[in-house]
Amino acid sequence: MSRQFRAELLKIRSTRTTVGLVLGMVGLIVLFSLLPGLLSKTPELVTADDQRGLLGVGTFAGLFSALAGIMLVTSEYRYGTIRPTFLVTPARRRVLGAKLAAGALAGVAFGIAGGALGFGIGYACLAGRGIHYTLSVGQTTLLLAGTVAGTGLWAALGVGLGAIVRNQVGAIIGLLAWGFVVENLLFALVPDVGRLGAVHAQDALIGLTTKHLLHATPGALVLVAWATALAAAGTAIAVRSDVD
Amino acid sequence: MSYQLPVVEAASLTKRFGDVAAVDGLSFALQQGTITGFLGPNGAGKTTTLRMLLGLAEPTSGRAAVFGERYALLQRPSHRVGATLESTDFHPGRSGRDHLRMLALAGEIERSRVEEVLRTVELEGAAGRRVKTYSLGMRQRLGLAAALLGDPELLILDEPANGLDPGGVRWLRDFLRAFAAGRRTVLISSHVLAEVAQTVDQVLIINRGRLVVESSLEDLTGRASASVRVRTPDRYTFADALGRAGIRFSTGGDDTLVAYRTSAEQVGDLAFAARVPIHELGVERSSLEEIFLGLTAEPVA
Repeated sequence: MSRQFRAELLKIRSTRTTVGLVLGMVGLIVLFSLLPGLLSKTPELVTADDQRGLLGVGTFAGLFSALAGIMLVTSEYRYGTIRPTFLVTPARRRVLGAKLAAGALAGVAFGIAGGALGFGIGYACLAGRGIHYTLSVGQTTLLLAGTVAGTGLWAALGVGLGAIVRNQVGAIIGLLAWGFVVENLLFALVPDVGRLGAVHAQDALIGLTTKHLLHATPGALVLVAWATALAAAGTAIAVRSDVD
Repeated sequence: MSYQLPVVEAASLTKRFGDVAAVDGLSFALQQGTITGFLGPNGAGKTTTLRMLLGLAEPTSGRAAVFGERYALLQRPSHRVGATLESTDFHPGRSGRDHLRMLALAGEIERSRVEEVLRTVELEGAAGRRVKTYSLGMRQRLGLAAALLGDPELLILDEPANGLDPGGVRWLRDFLRAFAAGRRTVLISSHVLAEVAQTVDQVLIINRGRLVVESSLEDLTGRASASVRVRTPDRYTFADALGRAGIRFSTGGDDTLVAYRTSAEQVGDLAFAARVPIHELGVERSSLEEIFLGLTAEPVA
């Protein structure tokens, strides 16, 4: 394990930011799993897609993973630690590479925790209400693996976005506005374009079959493309830009 | 180890932000073992120069080098150059020790150095606390600890005395003296000459991005235009002699005259030539701070 990578892992562990993000993730997933799990009418929970929607609430981990990625870069600019960071490692590509790797690892951990939590609560709700679990082993595997892999990619996407925007609040607002507003509008109005968005690619990746959504494999490729493009752009900008 | 090359070198270094030249054709070279004060009023371009020397900002033109190379090309730079640019470059929620540990990891520095530098700056008691609980002086010392982690040969410190109490300033002075005694090199910036006057061997004074003075501290002190106070029973004759020599003066009470921008030698010779008895002669130098302000005064628009 490279020392640069370990330095980035230490940055993640040594503040309370990560704890806050984990708590936020757990709270949101518990809430968004329990509400539909307990309150939806039984006919709304019987199809495969209904159940993917409920048991896949863990994909919200992607949001917190992206936030963690954003923080990993923007808090360095916000608090000025980017200066000592780049003084110690003037090869900025190495710094960004380590941030991408450490962020992705943290993201995968978020994905495992969030995915398991969402799945567990959803499954318990179905079982408790006596609703038959319809997903096959293959479909279940795709749901869980898609959550974990996607969440890892969201962290890389966040690192890239953070390096492009640099301003912490700006990057977070940008992420939320895109994920919750712009992409949904696009998908509703121009589905052929909207389905190429990262959030809808994540939906496709866990096997959701909503109309117009991509299949799982192209969905995975689209999400990889988003993460790669933002990470590359963010790295290029960080390498070229002066640090105040 | 001896370096033929200057340890720090700027050659026609220029940084423009739009139409404004923050640093404008700056050239200087620092030799090993010196302590240099990098002085100028706020906004003179000191920090921008240091950022270029340290590879954080790209020069618009010219060259900035440490140990003969661009900073970015140094191998394991924290083993050669230790630097702090802002006293606030810490995550407030991270402990001082973790801040140093993450830098030690990335800089390929042994973990034991973290505790050593904490002891050096006398922060071992507070190292486990989050930085947000630190005073400004403690943050300055943590920044210095970070700069010292790799046991560097060159220290570049931006306004390190800011926020230090008088005891802290003295501690820093003694520390830097001891550091440079081992043939190591120090560059410290300040906007207050007096703050570094007792620490540095030489000064670079810049104003509006340009070098105004590069000199040893001795020469700078010597360059201070002296006033000479003279007491003579025959001050009218002597005033006449001063006037003919083109020396400005003013008259004081009790047979005294003050001659400006001159030296004791010149005044003594004049008195001898004019056959004026001198009862008292004293040299009054303007303070270093007055020289500094004179050199960096903004032209009146």
